[in-house]
Amino acid sequence: MASLVPCPNCGRRPKEEFTIKGAALSRPGADADSENWFDYVYLRDNPRGAYEEYWHHTSGCRRWLVVMRDTLTHEVAACRDATDGSRSERRK
Amino acid sequence: MSEFRPTLRPALGSKQPVASATFGLSTLPEGTIIHVLARPGEQDVAHLLASLNGSDPHALRPVSPDQWFIVRDAAMPNQEMKGLFAALEPRASGVDQSHGRVRIRIEGKMAQRALSKGTALDLDSSAFPVGQSAVTLIGHIAAHITRVSSDAFEIIVLRGFAESLWDDLTRMGLEFS
Ligand SMILES: [Zn+2]
Repeated sequence: MASLVPCPNCGRRPKEEFTIKGAALSRPGADADSENWFDYVYLRDNPRGAYEEYWHHTSGCRRWLVVMRDTLTHEVAACRDATDGSRSERRK
Repeated sequence: MSEFRPTLRPALGSKQPVASATFGLSTLPEGTIIHVLARPGEQDVAHLLASLNGSDPHALRPVSPDQWFIVRDAAMPNQEMKGLFAALEPRASGVDQSHGRVRIRIEGKMAQRALSKGTALDLDSSAFPVGQSAVTLIGHIAAHITRVSSDAFEIIVLRGFAESLWDDLTRMGLEFS
């Protein structure tokens, strides 16, 4: 697991300051069918390699971040505030 | 009616300050702490805050994007606080945290060394100069740290954690006391 996370608001901080929510996925529309919602809520790819996740900087700026990390090498490729890039853009 | 009456007493009232040549720990007055949160999209709220604060000695401490603490040693009269909150609207909102958070001062040549035992924050003055603030963990306790001079820091911590943090800080400074 990535042990130093480059928070865009706070700088490099240890993982102990963060809470991980899980994969950063595009949320289906409210009227999407149950298969789409089942997929979104329960099914994960668990890739070996690049992975995008929501992390909350709980003991820092308390902002939601999107961390792009490699599940194999533990390297963090990018970290941005979740509000950068509008939510509607991320919606399918 | 119950005979029990809660009494308001300082959170760290029973603690003895630490004062050695290289390490000092002391409590700061439980005066005023106001948490200010800007509405999303508002620009330059820091300027607004600076203009509203009047002449009483105070400090404006950044907390996180669009959030600040207004800190004063003295208690702010209710009317004045109401006026301040009204003046912030609609661009920002204020919340009185004066009884919810406690301030601790840690100072001395070895203060930085002692504090570094508990936090991963880079406290070197090149990365964390005078006037800089940050929220971070000290051990397992979330705290807001400000460098107030080259050898002194002010820590703001939730009241319920203040005693525990004080004891940790005392222990971190033992070898310098
Ligand atoms: Zn942060």
